[in-house]
Amino acid sequence: MITPKNATTRRNVLKTLAGGAAGAATLPLWARYAQAQTSEPIKIGFQVHRTGIGAAYGRWYDRTTMAAVNLINEQGGINGRPVEIVAEDDGTDPKRGAEVVEKFANQHGCDIGFGTLFSHVVIGSSPRAGELKLPYFVVSEGHHVASGMLNRYTLQPGITDVKSQVQAMAPFVAENLGKKVTMIFPDFAFGHDHRDFFTRAIEAQGGEVLAHIAVPPAETSFTKYFPKIPQDTEVLYHVMVGPAVLTFVKELGEFFGPSRPEIFGFIDSLEAVDISSPGLEYLEGTYFWEGNPRHAQEDQSEHDKFYRAAVGVDERGASISDPSDVSTYAHMFGCWETLHVIKAGMEAAGYQSHADRAKLIEAVEAMTEMPLSQAHPQGAKLFNGKTHQVFGHQYISKVTDGKLVKVHTTSIEDTLYPDEVDYTTQSF
Amino acid sequence: MLPTDIYISAGAATVLLTLVLLVFLPERTSEKLFSNFGFWRAKPLPLRHFISCLSAVVLGWIVWTGLTGTRDPLANPLPLTVWTVWWVFLVFIQGFIGNHWQYTNPWTGPIAMLSKLTGLKPLLRYPSQLSYWPGIFLFLGFATVLMVDPAPADPSRLARYVGIYWYLTLLGVVLFGPAWLVKAEAITIMMRAYQQMAILGRTHSRLSVGLSGWQILRKPAPKPTLAVFMLVLLGCGSFDGLNETFWWFGQLGLNPLEFPGRSAVVAQNLIGLIAANVVLLLAFISCLVLGLRISGETETVIIAFCRYAPTLLPIALAYHLAHYLPSFLVEAQYVLKYIYNTLGLGDFYVTTGFFSRPSTVKAIWLIQAGAVVAGHVIAILLAHVLALRAHGTTRQAIIVQIPLAIFMVCYTVFGLWLLASPRGL
Repeated sequence: MITPKNATTRRNVLKTLAGGAAGAATLPLWARYAQAQTSEPIKIGFQVHRTGIGAAYGRWYDRTTMAAVNLINEQGGINGRPVEIVAEDDGTDPKRGAEVVEKFANQHGCDIGFGTLFSHVVIGSSPRAGELKLPYFVVSEGHHVASGMLNRYTLQPGITDVKSQVQAMAPFVAENLGKKVTMIFPDFAFGHDHRDFFTRAIEAQGGEVLAHIAVPPAETSFTKYFPKIPQDTEVLYHVMVGPAVLTFVKELGEFFGPSRPEIFGFIDSLEAVDISSPGLEYLEGTYFWEGNPRHAQEDQSEHDKFYRAAVGVDERGASISDPSDVSTYAHMFGCWETLHVIKAGMEAAGYQSHADRAKLIEAVEAMTEMPLSQAHPQGAKLFNGKTHQVFGHQYISKVTDGKLVKVHTTSIEDTLYPDEVDYTTQSF
Repeated sequence: MLPTDIYISAGAATVLLTLVLLVFLPERTSEKLFSNFGFWRAKPLPLRHFISCLSAVVLGWIVWTGLTGTRDPLANPLPLTVWTVWWVFLVFIQGFIGNHWQYTNPWTGPIAMLSKLTGLKPLLRYPSQLSYWPGIFLFLGFATVLMVDPAPADPSRLARYVGIYWYLTLLGVVLFGPAWLVKAEAITIMMRAYQQMAILGRTHSRLSVGLSGWQILRKPAPKPTLAVFMLVLLGCGSFDGLNETFWWFGQLGLNPLEFPGRSAVVAQNLIGLIAANVVLLLAFISCLVLGLRISGETETVIIAFCRYAPTLLPIALAYHLAHYLPSFLVEAQYVLKYIYNTLGLGDFYVTTGFFSRPSTVKAIWLIQAGAVVAGHVIAILLAHVLALRAHGTTRQAIIVQIPLAIFMVCYTVFGLWLLASPRGL
């Protein structure tokens, strides 16, 4: 069956909801019992990377999730029902990811699945969620949702995707840092995404990539790659990840010394690493993309302040219990915002039981603007119901005296690209 | 970022120096190093069976919570108890401090109770030709769960493994008597082997203390199959570390930064686990054969194999400490968090910040490297004492020992390299 687009609009749902509330007082006894039955908690299956390569992210995704759920419950839950998190470890393993999704649907009776970060786990789990008709809200920033490779049951409403992030950097880089760019990236899908998306975007800005330097992912020393950087490079774009990042920075410093090109990187390289760690001094004066500014800025919003306090993070993005425990601040807001989208979606759909899962998806698909608020502390967002992907502001920070100081905020328009899929044409 | 190559060479040099020193030290010195001091005339603790029954009750309860409690492996008491408290901590304590397994073993108490209540006698004789082989295979099975199984920390999966193993062991003892526990039950064999490494032990009616390894020198050489078990202990321990290195991922043709998860490498890790043990066995036997050849000794390799196998225990134990120390520092906090939450003491904050502070990173690495080097030095000293006892002169003992000593120096480098090399997990 093909569901007509926006069959359930937010307005429609709200109307039905208001009617229902007005009629509740006159309900017969059996219906009131039915009402009582639904005061059972709403069960959210949290697919968390507790073990495996995603464990460091998993710890902070867990903290943010619990903080958001505590807040939602303090505020009365969803549709008057408390929210319960059912956490299952997927071992950062796609096969186990699919099993976890299955457990959510068949064993734990979860209303939805939520929280997956690593792309390969999302790609491994999403088909099963589709088969089981379990709404699956991922927080992965991968382009796989908007690219059309997943299904109607998979949505990414709380974090922007890598394609939009990368392309939004190009205008700032071209205008402020230089038009001749050399890219250095790990030689696998993550690095290739950056290579492809940024190369196109900088060309659209009249710039060019002079050289693409792909580094094998298991490399532990980088000295031999640096001579490949062309002499006339104005900007060096780097996205190295893994245990050798500190070595990368150190060797970069040894190679260039004080006469370096402008350096621009993605904070993914140094997520959860203190930027003022010994060995990272060379990054002073360089630029970073940040999904959410780790260090509290001068123009910090009250919502960011509230969010930091709720999650237990200080003005440097580190834990208030241990300042050397730096959070994954650029990404973890996605859990907070996704849970608030789920709440808004369930309320708009008048969600009562598993039978309303399709209604929930339609309600989220109907969403568009999400203003900066307590529910969206990272910034305003624009949701695209067709591609199931949210778009939002991106931040560029400059390392200044060991602090990440925000120097540019992209517009949401900078992050948009033509739709590659329309999930709303797929049947439930 | 630490100058690990310097530490690796320093470690290897220390072990090598020990070896050279042995050439010049008087014969009795190394033997004296391992003398023990009886310091307390104490009877064994009473209530042995009671504590064991308590241990069984706790085991039953955590298996139950594994099946019914939270699915989060870092919040459920079963994986926390099995993998953090027992496997990392209690196994180390057994090998370093003293034999707690005679109390904490969850079978001896229930069996004693069972036989008292029912007058039960073993129904069958344990077939002597089986020797320790069931124990070896069961330990390999345990190592397979630890290193190959896709989700060893999943509470319900682990609950089934633990519950079934406990029950089958009980059945084994009912059928074959205590011999089953001593020769076929892998955990007890491991605990009894490691117990010989403890600084505390019993001599007659006294509690005694001595340099780690002193108890090995007071025991007769193990049976050949028990000696094989000791090598398997080290072989499995070494692979549990190797399987996380970038080198291993390279052999498998996988990108460690995009690791597809344990379920994608089940067959490879199983093959690796078996191969690691076979290679270790062959290397060890080759060194012994070579030592006997160049010294012109006529004793059989089996006798030498049984004599020197226990000298690998300190290496295995040291590697156990070094390998698990970082994960233990994190997971032990989850144990504390569980205790805090259960006792209503508020929340306990789990931090990994110490992995980002250079001072603590250095301290952790030095403890790891120190443990590995100390383990190898003790291994070489033990092998030297045993060689001296077996062969008439220091000269002869040293010649026999040369290949084995080179093997141990290489193993030091390998162990330190394992700790220092980049990991994908």
